[in-house]
Amino acid sequence: MTEFLSTNRFEPSIIGFLCHWCAYECADAVGRSRSQYPANLHIVRVMCSGRVAPHFIMNAFKEGADGVIVMGCPMDSCHYRSGNAQALKRMTLLRSLLPAFGIDTERLQFAWVGAGDTKEFIHRISSMVGALRALGPVGRRAVP
Amino acid sequence: MFWCASCGGCEESILDLSEHLFTLREKAEIVFWPMAMDTKYDAVKALPDKDLTVTLINGAIRNNEQVEIVRMLREKSKIIVAHGSCAHQGGVIGLANFFSSSALLDRAYKDMPTITDPGDVPSNTSKLNGTRLELPAMRRSIVPLNKVISVDYYLPGCPPSPELVKDALFAVLSNDLPELGTVFGETKALCHTCPRLSSKPEKLKLTTFKRLHEVEWDANTCFLTQGLVCLGPATRGGCAARCIGANMPCRGCFGPLDTDADQGLNALSMLAALLEDTTPEGLDRGIKSIPDAPGLLYRFGLAASILGGRFQGGK
Amino acid sequence: MSARIGVYVCECGPNIKDALDISRVTEAASHVKGVVLAKTFPLLCAKEGRDLIKEDIHTGALTHVVLAACSPKEHEKTFQEALHDAGLNPYLLQMANIREQCAWICKDKKTATEKAISLVRAAVSRIVHHAPLVEEEIECQTDVLVLGAGVAGISAALTLAQSDRNVYLIEKSPCIGGHAALYEDLFPGGTCAACLLEPMLDEVLHHDQIDVLTLSEVTNVLGQWGHFSVQVRKKARFIDEDACIGCRTCIEACPSEAPNEFNQFMDNRKAVYIPYEGALPHVASIDKNACLYFRENACSACKAACPFEAIDFDQQDEARTFHVGAIVVAVGFSLFSPEELNGSASGTTKNIFTALEFERILNSNGPTAGNIQLPDGTLPQRIAFIHCVGSRSEKHHTHCSGICCPYLLKFALMAHHQLPDVAIEQIYTDFCLPGIESQKLLFQARKLPHFTPRQVTSAETLALSTKDHGIKISYNDSQNRPASIVVDMVVMGPAMVGAADAERLSEILHISRDKHRFFKKPDFLEPVSSTRKGIFIAGCCQEPQNVSQSIVQGQAAAGRILQHLVPGRMLPLTTTAAKVDENRCSGCKTCVDICEFGAIEYDNNAKQASVNKMLCQGCGTCAAACPSGAMTADHFTDNGIFSETIGLLEK
Repeated sequence: MTEFLSTNRFEPSIIGFLCHWCAYECADAVGRSRSQYPANLHIVRVMCSGRVAPHFIMNAFKEGADGVIVMGCPMDSCHYRSGNAQALKRMTLLRSLLPAFGIDTERLQFAWVGAGDTKEFIHRISSMVGALRALGPVGRRAVP
Repeated sequence: MFWCASCGGCEESILDLSEHLFTLREKAEIVFWPMAMDTKYDAVKALPDKDLTVTLINGAIRNNEQVEIVRMLREKSKIIVAHGSCAHQGGVIGLANFFSSSALLDRAYKDMPTITDPGDVPSNTSKLNGTRLELPAMRRSIVPLNKVISVDYYLPGCPPSPELVKDALFAVLSNDLPELGTVFGETKALCHTCPRLSSKPEKLKLTTFKRLHEVEWDANTCFLTQGLVCLGPATRGGCAARCIGANMPCRGCFGPLDTDADQGLNALSMLAALLEDTTPEGLDRGIKSIPDAPGLLYRFGLAASILGGRFQGGK
Repeated sequence: MSARIGVYVCECGPNIKDALDISRVTEAASHVKGVVLAKTFPLLCAKEGRDLIKEDIHTGALTHVVLAACSPKEHEKTFQEALHDAGLNPYLLQMANIREQCAWICKDKKTATEKAISLVRAAVSRIVHHAPLVEEEIECQTDVLVLGAGVAGISAALTLAQSDRNVYLIEKSPCIGGHAALYEDLFPGGTCAACLLEPMLDEVLHHDQIDVLTLSEVTNVLGQWGHFSVQVRKKARFIDEDACIGCRTCIEACPSEAPNEFNQFMDNRKAVYIPYEGALPHVASIDKNACLYFRENACSACKAACPFEAIDFDQQDEARTFHVGAIVVAVGFSLFSPEELNGSASGTTKNIFTALEFERILNSNGPTAGNIQLPDGTLPQRIAFIHCVGSRSEKHHTHCSGICCPYLLKFALMAHHQLPDVAIEQIYTDFCLPGIESQKLLFQARKLPHFTPRQVTSAETLALSTKDHGIKISYNDSQNRPASIVVDMVVMGPAMVGAADAERLSEILHISRDKHRFFKKPDFLEPVSSTRKGIFIAGCCQEPQNVSQSIVQGQAAAGRILQHLVPGRMLPLTTTAAKVDENRCSGCKTCVDICEFGAIEYDNNAKQASVNKMLCQGCGTCAAACPSGAMTADHFTDNGIFSETIGLLEK
């Protein structure tokens, strides 16, 4: 973990929109197991990944997020039947727009994790942090 | 009346007032209208503050001259109306924000297929006979009017319909004013007044969207139901569904319901909800069937969107 | 009134205190706009902690409370109650999870502290957007609809009726009892199935509070837990159930025949029929497809013969609606079709039987009156019982049905009992015999004089072909060497899968099913719950199980219902529901279809959507999809989430 502390290294800020039932529970389970993962992830809890509107994501980028991850229940086990599928459709379409905005598609990710998929959770967050470190900070634009 | 980065269509919308122009002329004196009259900036500058009852400004903000003049007009006017899509939302002109300034200039001065003598991009300062000349500097990005000055009312549309222009102008002139910040038009999205709404089923799922040339589309059925992208659900009504009446889907020129909302993202959510196949291939097929999604979703609203355009410095 | 926010930072014993600089977090919180008080406490969830918050709410006139502590999944309810006790609306609370998301995942104290500060700042930014929400309740319906009158459904119905609940028992076939009524003896003890079931079936039929609807199926379900409205179609029986006494006069008179589904199509029945001797209700019914009357009025022999004028060709299907508080789904199973196996037995199928067919052969009211014989009437010399047909297979069904080993061994024992000289070939991959009784079946079988267990590597290596007058079974033995035997009768134990109409039902009921057509449970802690609240699943429709397990599940589902649907008790409605701003909704219908709960109602005249709070589950998917910003999600508002995001990203 000390490697995360090394000075001067770019530390990306990641906003995670996590559904209450699977993803947030999974994050809790990771915590309970005292597993370590990069502190770069900042979580916003929503009841369902289907609640995540595209403007949540664009606002996060506008406010300086270097990456955004939407996490919900595995595809066939959404607590609300298909909220995660709605999120998937919306996020995939949004992702296809990102290059036009000068945002690398790597900066928007989604992951469908069960409450117990702690290894997958840690893997996704760690690799996203790694990818964002390589990409560097998201570009800035002067809007008068 | 003043125009910024504009095609001139909004100026036409004033002429389209036809016989009402006479009424307008009776009720008001037109002081400043560069497109139609010869008035110098200095003459306006000399006016006392708040001397002008109302100024209609169309076009988006592209260069420093426009900023200077609209600020001046703000001081001299009691009421500022953002006239048309470009002043309201950045409009078609705002699509330039998908590109960096240098890419735009290169395109204009070097890469256009019609250019036969590509040279350097001209600088905005030059010397002529020992005198330094300065052209207005191009700003890094297009912004709608309300990012530069405070705007009292908005007249949406590309261009706004003559009826709407008339209603807005006469409301101002008769001092029958709505709440500050009001956008003239309906308070609901276009669907509410769309004559085709009843033909849209409650359950609608599409595997792909169609382009206009791919189908022979019906003149009475909801465009989305026919698989054609229509931005009506994400666009303010008030246009009298003119495009729909001409059997064309809504392109979104009246902008979103909230002046600060991101129309493209609202439309994106709506379109995504219609897609049926959520397998990776199915989704890919569905998404690719939307031709030039960024341009389509942000045809009029890019400059007013959350990000305003392309992140400079991004990959 | 401007917000007066109280921030409490919990030490959580050493959990948070040791992992981050708690005084810095508290200090930072105290400087955020709106915060009038920031305190640290050793254990906020303890009574002293809750008392402190309550007291501060009074003395400090707090309008909102932010807790920097554990996961909201752990203690949000605890603190909501504390707010409620102190007279503050429980939704004016926001938790910053600085334990699971900071203290426990980050060993570096400085990083953990900084992240905690940002989480607290975000929670404060968000909480000013929280609105007080009122929890509403409605009275519940206590009647119950049970779908499927097999053992699981029947035991649910009886348990409920015995507790004075009205039950509507819906069965699609003409008689009740399900699969179990087709069996002769049950494993492990060889209990007589009919003797065990008949008293139950009889009680169901005659119970004042159970309304049995045979030949009926559900066509639509609206509503939610406590308030379902269920539409049922009862198909015409063409027999007056009250007049018919089951005397069989009509059956004798009937000239038309059809394959008998209750004997697994191994023989024929008449167009007017009673499924099997002893079927309950013991009333005839007319199979419209086979009856000659319905083909050009060609025949009415039964009508002429019936001494009780019970035949009624004019009977119509009947649509009924029931208002119930809960639904128990107990529609049972079907078997994997062995024809789906590669190379299986083409041309020899007449001597190959599935377990259900063999059950009927063994049954005294079956096609052979209980005698084990081949279709040509001869007695088999050598019977092979094949385990794991289509189950435990990557190709077909991965699961182990769990009951096939016991019943295939039961078959072996019953076959030996009836034909002491018959050679028994038990072809298995593994014996699955859990529990305290099943293993005995194997011990007993092994003691049989002509019992040969043959272990094969996998049922998938089996190939059946015709050989002289017998069936050749080729397989790979446990050492993976090719081998074969020839038998004259084969009985297969195919994988159990969900009922044939499970797919249709899952759509109507809005409950999830898996690829084997079994209905899904939300998690293993709720073994009789479906994925929709208020709809319970019992018996083999959710997982293969034996008769007594099915009974347990029926009773368990009934118990869950009795526990919650108490007459006079109120049920809470979803507090954090979606809402439509009628001044904005354009009626574009985007939300209507994406709501999985039918909670969005559309008014064609007003061209407007509205949310039925009784059905809304509060997921917020509609709010994210609405292109007009007319749909909002309580407690998870756009502004609240934006502010939280900004708080998290503030440097």
